[in-house]
Amino acid sequence: MVSKTGRRASAMTNGAGGNGHLPDDVVLSIEDLWVEYQTPAGQMQAVRGANLQIRTGESVALIGESGSGKSTLGLALLRLLVRTARVSKGRALFRTGDGRTLDLFSLGKDELRRFRWQECAMVFQAALNSLNPVLKVGDHFVETARAHGERDDRQTRMRALELLRMVQLDAERVVSSYPHELSGGMRQRVSIALSLLLEPQLIILDEPTTALDILTQRAIIDVIRSLRQRLSFTMMFISHDLSLAAELADRVATMYAGELVEVGNVRDVFYKPKHPYTVGLLNAVPPIAGEEFTPLTAIPGSPPNLLAMPSGCSFHPRCPYATELCARQVPPLFAIGDGHVAACFHRDRVTRSLDVWEVATT
Amino acid sequence: MTESLLSLDHVSREFSTRHGRITAVDDISLEIGRGDILCLVGESGSGKTTVARMAAGLLEPTRGAIRFEGRDLRQTSKDEHKAYRRAVQLVHQDPYASLNPVHTIGDTLRAPVLHHKLVKGRREATERAAELLTQVDLTPPQNFLSKYPHQLSGGQRHGHPLALNPRLIIADEAVSMVDVSIRVSILNTMLKLRNELGVAFLFITHDLAVVKYFGWEGYVGVMYVGKLVEYGRTPQIIGRPLHPYAKALAAAIPEADPDLTRAKEKLQLRSLDIPNLTALPSGCVFHPRCPYFVAGLCDEVVPQLVDVGDGREAACHVVSRERGKEAAA
Repeated sequence: MVSKTGRRASAMTNGAGGNGHLPDDVVLSIEDLWVEYQTPAGQMQAVRGANLQIRTGESVALIGESGSGKSTLGLALLRLLVRTARVSKGRALFRTGDGRTLDLFSLGKDELRRFRWQECAMVFQAALNSLNPVLKVGDHFVETARAHGERDDRQTRMRALELLRMVQLDAERVVSSYPHELSGGMRQRVSIALSLLLEPQLIILDEPTTALDILTQRAIIDVIRSLRQRLSFTMMFISHDLSLAAELADRVATMYAGELVEVGNVRDVFYKPKHPYTVGLLNAVPPIAGEEFTPLTAIPGSPPNLLAMPSGCSFHPRCPYATELCARQVPPLFAIGDGHVAACFHRDRVTRSLDVWEVATT
Repeated sequence: MTESLLSLDHVSREFSTRHGRITAVDDISLEIGRGDILCLVGESGSGKTTVARMAAGLLEPTRGAIRFEGRDLRQTSKDEHKAYRRAVQLVHQDPYASLNPVHTIGDTLRAPVLHHKLVKGRREATERAAELLTQVDLTPPQNFLSKYPHQLSGGQRHGHPLALNPRLIIADEAVSMVDVSIRVSILNTMLKLRNELGVAFLFITHDLAVVKYFGWEGYVGVMYVGKLVEYGRTPQIIGRPLHPYAKALAAAIPEADPDLTRAKEKLQLRSLDIPNLTALPSGCVFHPRCPYFVAGLCDEVVPQLVDVGDGREAACHVVSRERGKEAAA
């Protein structure tokens, strides 16, 4: 728990033993993370006690609707939250490339700068355009490298060309272009190439394909997949698009009203979802395959007001499985097997059948 | 198709830009009957929004005619034009932008019925507004009438263009910016309007999966750089697209099914870039990207939209050639 004036001195703990211990194969461990926003109407908990471990080399998708807290969680990890937000509780431990363990919420200024880009880089939604409009693409690479102590600009430019080629861009042309001369899809590929410049272990992508045309989305998906095969970095991506998770994730975490309500291997979560909210999301996505018409159902109601959360399970007012128990008690994350967990008392009854939802909506 | 509600007859639209004249829509003909669903699919720059704006009467075609119930819009009387504007409603991409933030939902819903003198007074207007909210499942309506747009969710904000009992709703990427669950409830609400009240839809999107769901009982037109390249019944086009661009779109869409989507056969295009509208390629506009491109034909001759059997049309030399071979065999 750290505010602006909080503890900073011992940001680095020794990889072995004590509080800062991370299992060998874990690169990031988020432990009971709470993030709150200061709003005119009071304090709003946007992330509520999130626990998630990300293993080296894997790809984890964070899915959920807008307002579920998934972007806030990503921003909190890189300490990029807006001023009105703060981490109010919990911690996030990170294993660096050279084997040290960092406590992310107590990093000093220099450590934080090194952490960003060198250990962990974030790629934002294309529409938000995170590139500087007055800098040519090549200069983005040079500036980033310089800020991290790289003096050899020629070397950086060589690396930039190599990365731009890896994301299927016409590197020679793009490197001397300004961002506005490129399409949204090209800019997004530039952002991805740039994020890889300092060879971070973890890349966080926030809605990487949102607001792009279908063929461009496909190109981005294919580029990310081939980059992972070549460079084997760890990836966490945030998306409201379940298909993207189906394409690129090894594991999937569903977020609802600030809580992680289900985590599991991608096939378990898609084929045997155990949290009714995950089921509701899956039943709302239209498929394109198949000769037949596929009926879909919407989740009844709307997400809760984070300033006035319902009692018990936060999903119970919208849930067709809800019983009196759900209104009274907050369900913990129950283990289902093979790392699959779901926060639902009725997990054993939950299936992908549409019937139960149709009854709920009519 | 039943009696024609709205038809576009060889419609083109040009724009002057700093870089020269561009043809945003190039010789498109479409017809929508009562209760029909017509989906237009394409990427940015395909001209689909320009078609929507022309159909909604917000933009005049440079060439060709738009007819409402058989009457050329340029020759309608003032009253007929008013009737058309009432019958045809546009739902925008961003519902937030189409609602006045300083007016309550009640104010916004009362205004058009009062303006068009469809009700006697404010009280009757309020009753009408409440009815409409009920129709789009915003119940109880009393909870919504006094609310401001920012107090509604994205999905809830979409309801209001229904205020005038429209006969044709033009939805331009109306569900592309909303969450999956809200998207389904908006689509289901619109389908209900069609099935129960016979409202027709011109539905514009870049997402073929949404077309499959919403437009299953209707028709699809696939647009590329201002031209209609394929047209037919939705199940046919989705199940077996013929035009290489339509094939590419269908193949590119990821599925929310890990095994299926990772095994899906992709269609590799020769280029990712949509051509510059001020310097269009010769022959077929898709040829620089097309994996089936035939040199000497596709880069020289413009393919026409022709009947390729089963009531579908495609503008592709390669498709026509295959079709000819099948017919000969």
